[in-house]
Amino acid sequence: MIKVQNLTKAFNGKKVLDDISFEIKSGETLALVGFSGSGKSTMLKLICGLIEKDSGDITTSDGDIAMVFQYSALFDSLNVADNISFALRERRDLRDKYSPDEIKKIVAEKLELVGLKGIEDKFPSELSGGMQKRVSFARAIVTEPNSILYDEPTSGLDPISSTLIEDYIVRLKDETKASSIVVTHQMSTIQRTADRVIMLYDGKIVFEGTPHQMLKSGNDYTKQFVNASLKGPMTMGLG
Amino acid sequence: MINSIGKYYKHSATRLIFEGMAKQFCLFLETLGMIGMHAVTAARGLGFVDKKELMYQCYRFGITSLPITLSIVSMSIVIVTSQVALEMVKQGGGHFVGMAVSILVVRELAVIMSGFALISMIGSSLASEIATMRVTEQIDAMRVLKVEPVANLFVPRILSGMLMMPVVCVIASVVGVLAGAVTAELAAGLSYRAFFESAWLGIFAKDMFVSLGKAVCFGACITLISCSCGFEAKGGAKGVGEATTKAVVWSFVAIVIVDMFFAIAFFF
Ligand SMILES: Nc1ncnc2c1ncn2[C@@H]1O[C@H](COP(=O)(O)OP(=O)(O)OP(=O)(O)O)[C@@H](O)[C@H]1O
Ligand SMILES: [Mg+2]
Repeated sequence: MIKVQNLTKAFNGKKVLDDISFEIKSGETLALVGFSGSGKSTMLKLICGLIEKDSGDITTSDGDIAMVFQYSALFDSLNVADNISFALRERRDLRDKYSPDEIKKIVAEKLELVGLKGIEDKFPSELSGGMQKRVSFARAIVTEPNSILYDEPTSGLDPISSTLIEDYIVRLKDETKASSIVVTHQMSTIQRTADRVIMLYDGKIVFEGTPHQMLKSGNDYTKQFVNASLKGPMTMGLG
Repeated sequence: MINSIGKYYKHSATRLIFEGMAKQFCLFLETLGMIGMHAVTAARGLGFVDKKELMYQCYRFGITSLPITLSIVSMSIVIVTSQVALEMVKQGGGHFVGMAVSILVVRELAVIMSGFALISMIGSSLASEIATMRVTEQIDAMRVLKVEPVANLFVPRILSGMLMMPVVCVIASVVGVLAGAVTAELAAGLSYRAFFESAWLGIFAKDMFVSLGKAVCFGACITLISCSCGFEAKGGAKGVGEATTKAVVWSFVAIVIVDMFFAIAFFF
């Protein structure tokens, strides 16, 4: 469960998120969409506590919150295996729980899951952007978290890898009943993973509904977004 | 009168200078507080240090830097000795050369020159490494994985500085005195025997202990300041550059200040 109430956040006096409220039940996936710069990444960082909110409330159910970062954020001095097992080896409450052999097994398992078997010894700089993304996905889910925040998990991936990740997001949700937020620009990701969609514009929620409603609704914002049109209510930065 | 001063102040360069200075002073205090806070957080994480990582950081701090450190220390001894040895011999003070050199090396040159060398090599590399981790969100990723980044990154690095700086300092002292002996022989024709007999008289246990204490403090200052400055980096490549510069400047100033306090405390 993730519950956001009257959340407000401003950078340098400019409100990026303005009085936002929504709730995600456990086992539900929310797609967060919106213009570039509309505060989607900011929202995720607020939820996992990386930045401080100005006002409002954020409650999450107990357990870990995981985040897949927009630009992967892999530890570049560690190889793939050490990246994935980082939390298992370094977290104070987990560090003595797993033997090296168990860790090896978990890493291999997670790598297979994201379709990257056998790259344990490679360093992040030796991987393509899409491969890095998938490794960061594996790293985030290694502790089997209760809430998962995905910041553009499929952007920059080929359609097949995208589907692989999307399928896994769904599978993970079904298996662990995790609440997830998927920030994405891709209609395919919304369609395949989301139970509900929230669209942000200028700090406010301008649409909330199912993916199906998003496609069919007469909402000017979603129409513009779905049709990738320059004409519509969203003009920020378009002059 | 006050009014006209006020008017003058409002439009003048004086205002700019004063306000600029005030702002710089605030920034200075801010940095000082930031470093202090990190020191406290790091101290709390002391018990959780990863042995393997500590070994690696010790190797990085103490061993990879050794060739440059020893070159810098011995070359500065060569410079000093070649300047004074011949004059001292000419004035009939040849039997003081070894003593002068060993006092200089053990008390000051070995430790401060190693400090400067280590700032430029290890301090800058620690700062840019951690700053890059900051601007590429690796530190955020660590926090989301519930691993305290200050404890995880700072503790092995600071400990490595405190452990290895005295080792570097001892090696540098030995090499420094040897470099002095060779220089005195070449520049002033002083025999090795005369040099070392005199050098021995200049080496005191107290000096060595004070220098080791200084080395521990230098090692802590360099690593703590470099890690802290890197940790607070903002923005992209430019932020990494600024953080590295700040780390180097602050480390330089810090070890000179620490050195001064040691001098006041032990040799006044
Ligand atoms: N640390 C920060 N300091 C100042 N402004 C910031 C900071 N982080 C984000 N912003 C501003 O907040 C706004 C939202 O940024 P955010 O990264 O959340 O957008 P986004 O919706 O994730 O965009 P994208 O789709 O391009 O990733 C932007 O206008 C950005 O300039
Ligand atoms: Mg973003």
